[in-house]
Amino acid sequence: MSETSLPLHSIAAYRRGYEEEHRLLGFRSACGFVTATWSLACPRCGARDLTEAELASTGRLVAFSVQTVPSDEFLNDAPYAYVLVDLDGGGRVTGWIPGIGAESELSVGGRVRFSPSYKPGVQFARISDGGSTP
Amino acid sequence: MRETWVVGAASNRYGKMAESGREAATRVALEAIDVSGIDPKRIGYTFVSNAFGVAERQAHLGPLINTALGIPEVPSATIESACSSSSAGLHEAFVHIAGGFLDAALVVGVEKLSHLDTLQATSYFAMGADAAFETRNGATFPGLYATLAHAHRQKYGTTSEELGAIAVKNHANAAKNPHAHFQKPISLDTYLHSPIIASPLRLYDCCPFSDGAAALVVAAKDVMRSPSAEPLVVRASARSGSVAGMQDRPDLTGLPATRTAASAAFRQAGVGPEKIDFLEVHDCFTVAEVMALEDLGFYPKGAAAAAGRNGETALDGTLPVNSSGGLKAKGHPVSATGAGQVVEIFEQFNHRAGARQVPKTEWALAHNVGATGGSCSVHIFSHR
Repeated sequence: MSETSLPLHSIAAYRRGYEEEHRLLGFRSACGFVTATWSLACPRCGARDLTEAELASTGRLVAFSVQTVPSDEFLNDAPYAYVLVDLDGGGRVTGWIPGIGAESELSVGGRVRFSPSYKPGVQFARISDGGSTP
Repeated sequence: MRETWVVGAASNRYGKMAESGREAATRVALEAIDVSGIDPKRIGYTFVSNAFGVAERQAHLGPLINTALGIPEVPSATIESACSSSSAGLHEAFVHIAGGFLDAALVVGVEKLSHLDTLQATSYFAMGADAAFETRNGATFPGLYATLAHAHRQKYGTTSEELGAIAVKNHANAAKNPHAHFQKPISLDTYLHSPIIASPLRLYDCCPFSDGAAALVVAAKDVMRSPSAEPLVVRASARSGSVAGMQDRPDLTGLPATRTAASAAFRQAGVGPEKIDFLEVHDCFTVAEVMALEDLGFYPKGAAAAAGRNGETALDGTLPVNSSGGLKAKGHPVSATGAGQVVEIFEQFNHRAGARQVPKTEWALAHNVGATGGSCSVHIFSHR
């Protein structure tokens, strides 16, 4: 995780980060909490002196669910996995892995890599799939 | 603080409404007023919940309802807290009446989504989640609870058969409730062969998209000296919030807002879980009933699923849970759900629950969650 001075205090900046600049952005609080969810104060301790940070692009699966009935934005992508990922160096993010049709294809603790594409959202790939950052 | 009662309660049959939400809400409100015996002119405020009113292209429902009830001068406000909207409305009524600012209030919740297709309805439900950080990443509402179910199973070994037993129990209860969306029992085999919606949750783990309306009349004890029906004494009305996104919560096997709201409610009521005879909990998915019973303090973490499978939470069990059929089978008309839970407790207290009547009705609890636990209401009721 490297610290930056990016203007993260807009949700659009986060989205630009992962969809256009292919970076996962977040902040670190004085209490040590790291998150990739937009906020103006730390949800744990309330501190406002947040340090903007670029988060790691690799991590481990914490929990997941294979989606067979998607929302309209993901209509053409089901089935896929909705995932929670603990990033290396701190920060837990939500994301999705395309092409997953059964729970047995993933495991808690499995290694994943941020793998952006033209599709929306924070997209991951299993590292065993050769997922790579551009 | 004035003693506050729920003196009237009514709902329609959940499922598919032919009439508009506006009509249904007004109809159940009038029925609740009639049940209570209150003079409508004594109502000082109407708290309306209709989170997805935009689906009917109608907002600002309160004045429409009040006008149609013949009390157009009564002020109103819309209370939105996702699936816990009308329990938040009840909380507002309680705070105003117990605090002496109102003598009586009407609480109304209504939702109509059946004119939308499944894809549209799924998208509407997902609006209760974080659009930028959850929905944008592929989360649906079942998907979010499925992720919690996955974490619960991972930590406590919760099985499909245990979740299925909850679905079977709640469908059996709903089949005895003429106001329930689903009127047919299901077997465990039917559950186990239903399709996966969001793993590990199957079709029969999920509540339906329901239309429905429910209304409560809430009044100070000193206003309603001789109520027409046995009132519910509001012993506790507690609300809590928590970190909205589950990615920023340290624990994925429960809902922290349930724990804090329950703690506050039991403290207000001056009793513990052992005092409660039966309860309605927020089972939008079967795993939500498991988590609720654990977070409310009725079972240790990891023990509620087995208790359900062993029949402890059935109508004839030691702790009847969701005698109405719950969200799972009575149905989940989002903004009506919280008030509807209280309607069930009102029916039980008045021994009007027919084949689903629980044996003991001295104390009851209602638990209603907004989305994945960003909001939560816990109400505790007793007899006079």
